[in-house]
Amino acid sequence: MDYIIKIKKKKKHLFNDRWVWKMAWVEGRHNFKRLLLFTSSIVIGIASIVAIDSFNENLQRDIDGQAKELLGADLVIRSNGPIDSLLNLELDTLGEQRATDIHFASMALFMNVHGGARLVQVIAKDGNFPYYGKVKALPEDAFNRIRGGRNIVLDENLAIQYEVSSGDSIKLGQTVFIVQGIVQSMPGNNAIATSFTPSIYIPMSELEGTGLIQFGSRTSYRSYFKLGESDDIDDIEKALRPKLRKLDYRYDTVEEQKENMGSAFENLYRFFNLLAFVALILGCIGVSSSIHIYVQQKKHAVAVLRCMGASGWQAFNIFFIQSMFLGIIGSVAGIALGILIQYSVPILFGSVLPVEVGFGIVWLSVLKGLLIGVVISMLFSVLPLTLVRKIPPLIVIRSFYDEIASRSKTRYLTILLIVLLPWLFAVWQTKSWMFGSVFMGGLLLAFGLLYLVARLIIFMMKKLAQRGGTFVMRQGMSNLFRPNNQTIVLVIVIGLGAFLLATLGQVQSALLGQVAFMGSDDRPNTVLFDIQPYQKDDLVKFTKEHELPIQQLVPIVTTRLSAVGGVTVEDIKKDTSIHIPKWALRREYRVTYRDSLIETETLLEGELIPRENETDSIFVSVSESMSKTLKLKLGDEVVFDVQGVPFTTYIGSIRDVDWQRIQTNFIFVFPGGVIDKAPQFYVLMTRTPDKVKASLFQQELVQYFPNVSAIDLGLILKTIDEFMGKVAYVIRFMALFSVITGLIVLIGAISNSRFARLKENVLLRTLGAVRKQIILLTLIEYSYLGVIAGVTGSFLSILSSWALAKFFFKIEFSPDLIDVVTISAGVALITIVIGWFNTRSVYGDTPIDILRKEGD
Amino acid sequence: MLHVNKVSKVFSISGKQLHVLDDINFSVEKKETIAIVGPSGSGKTTLLGICAGLDTPSSGDVSLSDVKLRALDEDDRAYLRNQNVGFIFQNFQLLSTLTALENVMVPLDLRGGKQSSKPQALDLLSRVGLADRVDHFPSQLSGGEQQRVAIARAFITNPSILFADEPTGNLDEETAEDITKLIFDMNKEIGTTLVLVTHNHDLAERTDRILYLKSGKLVEDKLLRAI
Repeated sequence: MDYIIKIKKKKKHLFNDRWVWKMAWVEGRHNFKRLLLFTSSIVIGIASIVAIDSFNENLQRDIDGQAKELLGADLVIRSNGPIDSLLNLELDTLGEQRATDIHFASMALFMNVHGGARLVQVIAKDGNFPYYGKVKALPEDAFNRIRGGRNIVLDENLAIQYEVSSGDSIKLGQTVFIVQGIVQSMPGNNAIATSFTPSIYIPMSELEGTGLIQFGSRTSYRSYFKLGESDDIDDIEKALRPKLRKLDYRYDTVEEQKENMGSAFENLYRFFNLLAFVALILGCIGVSSSIHIYVQQKKHAVAVLRCMGASGWQAFNIFFIQSMFLGIIGSVAGIALGILIQYSVPILFGSVLPVEVGFGIVWLSVLKGLLIGVVISMLFSVLPLTLVRKIPPLIVIRSFYDEIASRSKTRYLTILLIVLLPWLFAVWQTKSWMFGSVFMGGLLLAFGLLYLVARLIIFMMKKLAQRGGTFVMRQGMSNLFRPNNQTIVLVIVIGLGAFLLATLGQVQSALLGQVAFMGSDDRPNTVLFDIQPYQKDDLVKFTKEHELPIQQLVPIVTTRLSAVGGVTVEDIKKDTSIHIPKWALRREYRVTYRDSLIETETLLEGELIPRENETDSIFVSVSESMSKTLKLKLGDEVVFDVQGVPFTTYIGSIRDVDWQRIQTNFIFVFPGGVIDKAPQFYVLMTRTPDKVKASLFQQELVQYFPNVSAIDLGLILKTIDEFMGKVAYVIRFMALFSVITGLIVLIGAISNSRFARLKENVLLRTLGAVRKQIILLTLIEYSYLGVIAGVTGSFLSILSSWALAKFFFKIEFSPDLIDVVTISAGVALITIVIGWFNTRSVYGDTPIDILRKEGD
Repeated sequence: MLHVNKVSKVFSISGKQLHVLDDINFSVEKKETIAIVGPSGSGKTTLLGICAGLDTPSSGDVSLSDVKLRALDEDDRAYLRNQNVGFIFQNFQLLSTLTALENVMVPLDLRGGKQSSKPQALDLLSRVGLADRVDHFPSQLSGGEQQRVAIARAFITNPSILFADEPTGNLDEETAEDITKLIFDMNKEIGTTLVLVTHNHDLAERTDRILYLKSGKLVEDKLLRAI
């Protein structure tokens, strides 16, 4: 028998099918409240992207607008010694005005009631710098009072630290200065830099009298120029560049200042943007998981619609429209929140910013947020929605039909896009293929590992649940692997949040631990430098009188390279086929002489060869890292210029040097009897037992040896701690976005599982389960989830922190177990509380009331 | 109207072949009413699913309204159902988030016509005695009321064939009688072909013909009255 096939359908798509729009509304109106919670999970991600992006745009705009004020001049030339006399004559004719300063590290003795001595940056100034921008000082004219006389002003944080006020005295070298006021901000300086090296300003005319500039003193010179209206900075830069390069001088122009500042903040911006991006991805996983559960619950409704004649695409479109609207609502809410957060960012970043950042809505960032939010949230919704097309109408009469075939071209395409689009977004966000790709790779790896752990746990729970135990125990465990479980999503989302937080904590502890370790046991914690040969014996005696040990006394000679491997440095610089970085050829090398290794050194190749006769060849030892940079191997010739005298040497050995330890470590070590007579200075290392002794020792040191400076490890530790505290505060604030998102997704996921578990719990109650049993069952399920997610995230953070410590910071790492336990316990507790809170309605009402209230 | 030709259905469960339907042949003429009866597990619901294009047979052909179902994909079958088929289920299968009125409107709205389906839906709800419950959600209706809504939904498209799967299975005796009467009255009024699956012999006796299924085989085709 033959039959005619007469199916002639009108082609319908999303935009010409009114029915799907109507159904999306009538079907979704009762579920929007439930889904809105998931929408909120992308709100934070979008908010942070908009806030950070807008802030960055505003920052760039303000840096561009304030670059001149930040540099304080049109051109700044910097050198490590007095400016070459010939060039100096030429520079005198440059522009309208010129100012100079000399700066160096030295000890300052605070002679007020509280007293104290510490290493500061002394800036001796001459001229009217800054020409642009304003020095913020107290009193306002304080900075102008140091044009002459024994007057001094100091950074605000230094004044606070030593409780110094106007009229107090500070001794620098052999001169006592009177404090005229404090500097709050200065063009070119930022708060972070000054917290590491607080500055003291004195008139240039008083510098010589202090006696602080001696042989070996590391002084830097700066010349500031204000150009006339007719001067062209590009022409001037072009003419000066070859001369400055030849002399190894550095220079800054306003344009360079803009670029440098821009690139300095670029990395910070990238990092924060990526944290925001993680929050967004976490949110999208939440959306995806919610839609997945939602679809599972709507299977019957879809099957009924299919029976009535809805096509697979129509069913898909109903939920797609709902998801699209949720994505738009989430994005718009995120944008609004982002604009609000933007107000707080300048306050938060205030201490690390060089400029005052204004507030303004950046429409491009708003558009970007909307686009990212809608595209990403829709993309993550489509994956679970592809199942809708495959729901068979047979479900309405066959309840066993549970497994829906998920394979389809749309599904594979969606998975491809889910990897591809976030990757492209990451590249876009970081403006770098490499950064974006590495980030995406890392994220996928973390996701992958968390996914594997979750799978492993599901597998183990299946095994464990079969082994018996009480009904409540078995039921609680079974909920982790039975249909509609949230195990994988929760482990990924919460695990990733815990992972980010714990990693930050671990790295911070490791860095601080490293500095603390440097000062532990009997290791040196105080370094005295700039000791002249004539002071050496007196200083040793002085140190011993303070009952402090002489742990090291090392001579230091300054040298430069003249030739490497038989080729002069000048020729190497010109030869493009030799790939040795110019900085390694140009730099000053501080070397020492001895015939044995110290404890921070390990011999890798060759041996330390002493020089026994004056006719013998000179064999020097080089550090492993510099041997690679300069491409040196055993026997290679290196000619040193030791203050005008050439020394031809050969590489006799290569050493591994532990630079992390507070020791006088050197790149090159000469044998004894070669440069012993060259002009030199000494460094002495000792250990002060406590703060009081350290303070007393330093105060007396400044009085008896004014030119000798001391580095106090305790002070470094305190400064690093404060700095890390500030940075960690900012980073933690950003990480908070991910954590809040994680919490929202957690609340949402648990709420959603409530719908999945509700009927089951009601049935259990109907069968006679008492309130206590239901509570216990819920607590067991969520305890497992919380502990698993927390422990997994924290465990992964140990791996990532170890990798960061080993490969990036190159420091020792031992996990902070208290941190790990705290975060794991915190996550578990929050999960349990939210889980209990969400299912509490089951405990109170009668089963039939609950079913009536919750509907389908 | 409906031609079932050598239809078999085999399920593979844990490597074992389970023959749920075995070489079923029958035809249903326009406006004819038939009942498929048989013990539990005899394959009644599976046969209904295949006849209505909800499922596909392992072998054999089914033609519905002169269209060979085997030649159609899932979406084409859905379209065919929308144009020709009505359903009444044992569990009513109303959409819980839609009101009674909206549930009834769904099949007609799906056709995408410009005319509003609301007057027709209201009329049908009134005919099934639910004029005052149109804005109620399924959870606010009793079982009998829900089934009335399902009947109204089934008839709104004036289907050429109506499939009913145990339509009174979830109802008490009195309500079941009301629902049975309603189905047959409306069926007569609209002139729809009716295929119903039931355990209820009284209900089966009201049809023109009874097909007896046993262990997946059609064991008897009993004509009660000519159309």
